[in-house]
Amino acid sequence: MQEQQAIISWKVAGIALGLLLILATYLVQPLGVSTQFVVADALVTHSLAPEAAESNAYLAKYGEKSDWGIGYGGMLVLGMFAGGFLCARLLRARQPDADKGSMPAMWQAAFGNSRSKRYLAAFGGGVLLLFGARLAGGCTSGHMISGISQMAVSSFVFGVCTFGAAILAAHILYRGRA
Amino acid sequence: MGTLTIGFLIGCAFGAILYMGGATSYRRILGTLLLKDMWIIKLMCTAIGVGTLGLYLLDLNGLAHLSIKPAYLGGVALGGIIFGIGWAVSGYCPGTCVVGASEGKWDAIATVIGGLVGAAIFAMAYPVMETLLLAPLDFGKITLHDVTGLNSVYLAIPLSAMLLSLAFFVLKDRYE
Repeated sequence: MQEQQAIISWKVAGIALGLLLILATYLVQPLGVSTQFVVADALVTHSLAPEAAESNAYLAKYGEKSDWGIGYGGMLVLGMFAGGFLCARLLRARQPDADKGSMPAMWQAAFGNSRSKRYLAAFGGGVLLLFGARLAGGCTSGHMISGISQMAVSSFVFGVCTFGAAILAAHILYRGRA
Repeated sequence: MGTLTIGFLIGCAFGAILYMGGATSYRRILGTLLLKDMWIIKLMCTAIGVGTLGLYLLDLNGLAHLSIKPAYLGGVALGGIIFGIGWAVSGYCPGTCVVGASEGKWDAIATVIGGLVGAAIFAMAYPVMETLLLAPLDFGKITLHDVTGLNSVYLAIPLSAMLLSLAFFVLKDRYE
């Protein structure tokens, strides 16, 4: 099977990501994303119903840190959006066609043409992702990339459980379909 | 330069790397999870291999602002399993769905919205979760060197070498 590559190779992307982690840890702290979903929830809840946000121990824990607004981590996630947006505008012609659009060909071949089915699965997957990440205390960036690089025991446990469950789930989803 | 500006710029670079490196690609994520296309796992092993060595050297010189996550084993393991299922179903993780959304991918936007809901559900369940899964079996912010008693040089260099050789020599794509 002839595979179209990406704009930069996994080697360049991996080395760049490793160096970025080192730079971030030197300047401020390691990389992390999933906390900001809580910060965003806290910000929205606090602006709509301040008492509800303040009375929730978890929202208060993250919301109050940055005065119910966004801090360093929030700016990092906004930056991710901006960086992705800019690159997608400038480099779209160089992105492999197979990686464009909202309906992956691989999904379509296995589960049909229904867009609502794909978006519903993406939504449900998102619910599980962030519930799991907040329960575990981090996601791919915070736990796996930053955490294993710091040789944290919890991050090795997270990495093994995540990959184990994800590989099993992917094989069940695509059993007899791919 | 203020911390907020630094955060924004590091985020821009992070987003650019994930986009250009194909990390927002469904076929690559699922390809890795189906153990056929090793692109994503090779990218991750390289990043962690470089990161492990770099953070060790930074820390050796007292320059690292480390943040070790606590090892409350039940919550971390169950959270990892739930996270893994979500990863396979959506094809994104919390970082790549933000970048995918910036590309205008509607499935990524759906994952971001699902993520906000998932985090809110966790916030509501937090008191119960704390009693059941966060407080018990908590070994604190421990690292491999705390557990083994070895100097971190004997762990960081082999771990880094192992991850880099996995990425560069061992893992191979398997297409029939």
